[in-house]
Amino acid sequence: MNTLTINGKLINSRGDLAWLLTTGVLCLIGLVGLANYLIQGHDAYNIYRQVPWGILISTYIFFVVSSTGLCLVSSLGHVFGIKQFEVIGKRAIAMAIITLLSGFAVIAAEIGYPFRMLIYNILTPNLAAAIWWMGTLYGLYLVFILLEFRFMIKVNHKWAGYLGLAGFIAGVAAHSNLGAVFGYLDARPWWHGPFLPIYFILSAAVTGCAIILLLYAVRYAREEMPVRISETLVSISRLFAMLLGILLFFEAWKVLTSVYGGAPGKYEAMMILLSGPLSWSFWGFEILLGMLLPFILLLATGGRNLKVATWAALSSMIGIFFMRYNLVVTGQLVPLRSDVDAVGASGLLSYTPSLTEIAIVLGGMGLCLLLYILAGRFFNLDADNH
Amino acid sequence: MSQERKKRWVMVVDPDKCIDCKACDVACKRENKIDAGTDRQVYRNWITSKGVEGTFPHLKQRFEPSQCQHCDNPPCVKVCPTSASYQTPEGLVAIDYKRCIVCATCILACPYDARFKSPQTKVIDKCTFCAHRIAQGKLPACVDTCPTKVRVFGDLNDPDSEVSRLLARHHYYVLKPEKGTKPSLFYLS
Ligand code: SF4
Ligand code: SF4
Repeated sequence: MNTLTINGKLINSRGDLAWLLTTGVLCLIGLVGLANYLIQGHDAYNIYRQVPWGILISTYIFFVVSSTGLCLVSSLGHVFGIKQFEVIGKRAIAMAIITLLSGFAVIAAEIGYPFRMLIYNILTPNLAAAIWWMGTLYGLYLVFILLEFRFMIKVNHKWAGYLGLAGFIAGVAAHSNLGAVFGYLDARPWWHGPFLPIYFILSAAVTGCAIILLLYAVRYAREEMPVRISETLVSISRLFAMLLGILLFFEAWKVLTSVYGGAPGKYEAMMILLSGPLSWSFWGFEILLGMLLPFILLLATGGRNLKVATWAALSSMIGIFFMRYNLVVTGQLVPLRSDVDAVGASGLLSYTPSLTEIAIVLGGMGLCLLLYILAGRFFNLDADNH
Repeated sequence: MSQERKKRWVMVVDPDKCIDCKACDVACKRENKIDAGTDRQVYRNWITSKGVEGTFPHLKQRFEPSQCQHCDNPPCVKVCPTSASYQTPEGLVAIDYKRCIVCATCILACPYDARFKSPQTKVIDKCTFCAHRIAQGKLPACVDTCPTKVRVFGDLNDPDSEVSRLLARHHYYVLKPEKGTKPSLFYLS
């Protein structure tokens, strides 16, 4: 009874069907969430005056970090000329486009008037605003990687390389501007400073490695992986381990400098993660699943065991999702005025995402999977033999 | 013949006179048609209780009314991608509501928690210093209504204005000077 097809290709295994089903369910949940948002507006979300950015912003960041990361790792091949990495290029860039689009979809449900943004970003741009640069550069980046993908499909290496370079520059610039959206805010000491723009780039590279490992684990779940791919993946899992090590080191200094002098605003925010209301998310997800466990797994196997590397990547991606949430939410929980109604007995503000917000997040994941399944059906994402 | 001097609107606040009657809050909401409904986070101005000061029997309860500071170096304006938040030549920080995309970055950039999303207009809102009243030569509604005359409004560029004279005669402070925002609300101390 296997008659389901997409673009003429048969859906021919239980595995495919399971993916489709999961995707369908996630998309459906997302649509319900979206409908509720369209009816109720921001009232359907748990964001409020003192905590105006919630899980949709952090999920947007999760997606665009993924996109930048995929672009960074794939550019090792066709931009920086490390031949070995060329085999993953097409699939990585396809996913970079998909994660970026999914990110845009999620943030469109958070920003009050996304279409107004398109108009006034052009009519009355504010060149001092990091959000303006981020939006504009991500727009450019999307154009570049779309073209890059097109040239890859046409096996035009020269132009794919040029556009890859353009995409690399626009992607890094856009992504560090996203860090600057937070880093520019003097009002929020825990976010403020050059740390976030830099950290975002590093954590993007980590994410890029993890996603590539996952994509190929799924791609070759039922077929033997070609040697040149498994060799590349071993290199990527080693790179992944090294970058995780550096990320842990970044994190350690962020923690130490935040608590060292007890500076107001910074200290309280860091303590929310270290021992406060979000400590489960920080220690359990961000540190343990996101960094420590994958780092140990990869070091213990020298990155050679791709099964273990896949688990490390999965663990890391789950942790990184929470890492974004921690970053966005924690920065807002220290109140600017201690006597507002929303401040609890602990002296902190609080935020828990609403069901609608969670539904839209799941929908974003569904959209990402859906686009990826479609991309696999319409394009050949495997490396060309030449 | 001389061209009219550029104005710099500021407010001088004497917190010692504040009795926490919240008439300013009510007047502001009426004047600017803000219906908070049940949402306790909807307001343009507020009163902070600074607690009890002194030792018995010389105790004193202190209140500090506040609102958007109409900063001379406003971070909310810098972060606004569409230039919806802007500064007028007279030092008012204003919002062009039709350009606001509700990205909420300005809310996070403001060190004073002065901004919120209006349930009526569905975009970001905050104190305007009642710019529409100033244009008619009237005082902001909160200044007009305050029974104990906590708030004095005027042109700091005019040396004879009441605000200029008050600031010349008294010690004063501004809120969160370390943020470098250069507020236009001055508190007498
Ligand atoms: S108080 Fe806040 S909203 Fe008002 S001008 Fe200053 S930064 Fe902007
Ligand atoms: S919420 Fe509106 S006023 Fe505030 S920064 Fe965004 S566009 Fe500008």
